[in-house]
Amino acid sequence: MIPRSSLNGSSLSASAGSDDAAPSEAQLYEQLGELARFIDTTLKTITQFSDPMSETTEQLPQAATHLRDLKKLTEEGTHRIMQLVEAVENNRVNMLARLDDAARTLTGPADAARFTDTLNALRKNLEADEKPLVDIITTLAFQDLVAQRVNKLVTIIDEVEHKLLQLVVVFGPYKKGAALADPGKAGDMLKQLDASKTTAMDQNLADEILKQFGFN
Amino acid sequence: MPADLNMKVLVVDDMSTMRRIVKNILKQLGFVNLEEAENGEQALTKLRAEPFGFVVSDWNMPVMQGIEMLRAIRADEQLKHIPVLMVTAEAQKENLIEAIQAGVNNYVVKPFTAETMQEKINKIFNK
Repeated sequence: MIPRSSLNGSSLSASAGSDDAAPSEAQLYEQLGELARFIDTTLKTITQFSDPMSETTEQLPQAATHLRDLKKLTEEGTHRIMQLVEAVENNRVNMLARLDDAARTLTGPADAARFTDTLNALRKNLEADEKPLVDIITTLAFQDLVAQRVNKLVTIIDEVEHKLLQLVVVFGPYKKGAALADPGKAGDMLKQLDASKTTAMDQNLADEILKQFGFN
Repeated sequence: MPADLNMKVLVVDDMSTMRRIVKNILKQLGFVNLEEAENGEQALTKLRAEPFGFVVSDWNMPVMQGIEMLRAIRADEQLKHIPVLMVTAEAQKENLIEAIQAGVNNYVVKPFTAETMQEKINKIFNK
């Protein structure tokens, strides 16, 4: 093995004398040292972010599960309300039938008692509607539950977004529009959501277009 | 010719609440023979198994979307005559034009009223 001191002299003078000379051993060691320091810094940074990354990978699937639960919550609340409305509708049909019956069969003074009975029965029907109507109002409170969960999920998503942005900043320059190269299904869904707020047509416009195509 | 209220009607939507709403409206209009499907594929299976006179379908559904189901209905010799009404939240002009080109009989934009649905059904059957 060639001693370092003799190498220093000969390689330095060789490099001083010519631009095409290969880097000296000292320069190589220096570059290796820099590389080692860079790897060490990177590993430390990765370690620093491993906890937030783990949290993120756990939090996102949980957030998705909660969102699916929201769908179930709203579905159940809506079914309950429809059930109550159907009860009121049925009651209404019964009342109309009684009124028709009364109009058909009550014709003279002797029917006064029966008329009173019919009116009392109708009164009971109307009173029976009060509970389902109140229950409809209270069931609509599911909207509040949904809103609270949505707020929490928005907080989770904001935090995850913040952590991911930190990673992007640390590990590489942010390329604006990079997502457009391959937006995937998420990109399509976002476009649809945006469109539903901005360019969605109402039934009148839909009818205009239908008319143009010959639908009357 | 007015709609035959005894004909079998298929309501297709992945949301059970929306199927219930549409069925409720159809019942109020006098239809008595109503069935349901959760997606286009399930709907096609039912349509091929027994005779239906009318289909009311959503657009966005898992497994098979309403627009694909519509195209499959129009491509099928046994099914192509069945009127299809799309009731959908897809409220972009491009969607409507795509549905027209695929052979839809009429189009209702969500949210809708019972009166709008009745008007569209009358237009389909009273041509």
